[in-house]
Amino acid sequence: MQSESARVTTAREAGFRVQYPNSKKRSVKIIALDSGTARVVYDIAREPWNGAVFFTSLSFDAAGSPGDADGTTMHAWLGDLAGRMIELVGEVATADFVVVLASAGADAQSVSVIAEACAAYSKSLLALVVPGKNTSEADIARSLSHLRPYARMLVVASDADYVAAMLTALRA
Amino acid sequence: MLRKEQNDYLCQTGPGTPMGDMFRCYWMPALLSEELPENDCPPVRVKLMGERLLAVRDSEGKLGLIDEFCAHRGVSLWFGRNEECGLRCPYHGWKYDVTGQCVDVPSESVESGYAKKIKLKNYPLIEKGGVLWTYMGAPERQPAEPEWEFCNVPLNQTYMSKRLQENNWLQAMEGGIDSSHVSFLHRGDLSNDPLFKGAAGNKYHMSDFKPVFEVVENEGGLLIGARRNAEDDQYYWRITPWVMPCYTGVPPRGDHPIHGHFWVPIDDESCWAWSYDYHPTRPLTEKERAAMADGKGIHVKNIPGTYRPLANKDNDYLIDRAGQKAGRTFSGVEGIGMQDASLQESMGPICDRARENLVSTDNGIIMARHRLLRAARALAEKGVIPPGVDPEHHKVRQAALLLKRDIPYKDGAKEALKAKKGVSQTSV
Repeated sequence: MQSESARVTTAREAGFRVQYPNSKKRSVKIIALDSGTARVVYDIAREPWNGAVFFTSLSFDAAGSPGDADGTTMHAWLGDLAGRMIELVGEVATADFVVVLASAGADAQSVSVIAEACAAYSKSLLALVVPGKNTSEADIARSLSHLRPYARMLVVASDADYVAAMLTALRA
Repeated sequence: MLRKEQNDYLCQTGPGTPMGDMFRCYWMPALLSEELPENDCPPVRVKLMGERLLAVRDSEGKLGLIDEFCAHRGVSLWFGRNEECGLRCPYHGWKYDVTGQCVDVPSESVESGYAKKIKLKNYPLIEKGGVLWTYMGAPERQPAEPEWEFCNVPLNQTYMSKRLQENNWLQAMEGGIDSSHVSFLHRGDLSNDPLFKGAAGNKYHMSDFKPVFEVVENEGGLLIGARRNAEDDQYYWRITPWVMPCYTGVPPRGDHPIHGHFWVPIDDESCWAWSYDYHPTRPLTEKERAAMADGKGIHVKNIPGTYRPLANKDNDYLIDRAGQKAGRTFSGVEGIGMQDASLQESMGPICDRARENLVSTDNGIIMARHRLLRAARALAEKGVIPPGVDPEHHKVRQAALLLKRDIPYKDGAKEALKAKKGVSQTSV
């Protein structure tokens, strides 16, 4: 007689898997760290998402800059698709996880501020390096060195399409 | 006969179908208690009404029925480790409690709250009378617990078995309503089966092969009375209660334990035939219990370690043509349960009722189909809770009795048809 495992692993039996949702809606915040990835964000934000919120810029109050000794006290602001400025901390606090996008070779040191907010609220930070047409290995290495200390998941995307694919996979 | 669309309506019980929605109004037997025998025992795959689920008893004895598959990558949690109040997927260690709530995703920090966002579909699972019952409907409509008499008597007075039947639930259940076949298909067993033989009423089966059926509506479903001629201006009545959607009681014989069935859809092409025996006033004897375990009466012998009958379609039900010719069995198949199942499976996975030619003895079947259709439509169109959900409807008994010919059986058997604690069955 066929074993139970043999019987239940047929295509027909796969049709009886329950179809109820097995996870709640996530709040995913996607932040472009530079102008190159801001263009990527504008493009992919037009696709249908499951509540993902996109930001095209990160800026700071006059006091301090990332890496300064007193950088932890400054206020950081996110620019959304409509051009509004929204406080970083509030967005991180209500996120399930945060995704940052960095163009290969661009300065990504500002990620430290986002990472600090993520640490304060125990949120995971995911980072993608998006290569350009003439990106060199050195460019990628530079971006990775900025992101590696903070990101729980760090990916070098093959192209901009990969960003959308990954966000979809993460139910963003 | 039924038109194809009516047949489909009655036979399909998957999620989102009208009959499926109706089945999901009731507590249904899901497993035998013996299938989850102890805390932290292995989980058990359960498919009901076209949904693949997993039954679990955790470290504290809490029961749960959850989606079979891990929310991470879709692995079957049947392989899971049942320990420390949860079932842990062996693939990447995600852990779920009996409500399907994910309680640990090892790769993510607890503080991230990721696990809280993951929740598998779950249904309540309760234990009563040696059976684990589930309710798969909307939580806000969950009815009170079932009150069938067999699960309210002490456990030493009751016995339950189940077997896989490889056809749609409706044709199986219709066999439970149709008692006219007993005089033919089961005639050999009336005199041989230890759980049937010796009853005074058996002689009426063998002397009157043309029972007359009278079917009356009852609160939870129907009462199907089959009358046969008896001496002294009496009828021998056998009264089968059918409670919606899939409970049938078999009228008793002498002081033998009372028995009956649930016919629970697994999917549209198979069902569980649940078979109970109990006595309202006394423990089952060792002899009776042994006979039931040996597949006598309405029970069957299953392949060890499974609930598939030993005699099944893959071995032609071990048909014994010599026994058939000699009259030991009428169909050549041994045992009442498999005599029924073999013929019902031979109708095909879903019986084509457009080709039927029903007769007067099929009145119970006709009325049951009508009530099912009516109730499913009322639920779908107006939200009317169907008969049989109210536990009061479960407090019905089957009966076998002699009545003067001018007495309507519903009046003459009124008290006999009520489940009464400490009162023996009415039987001949």
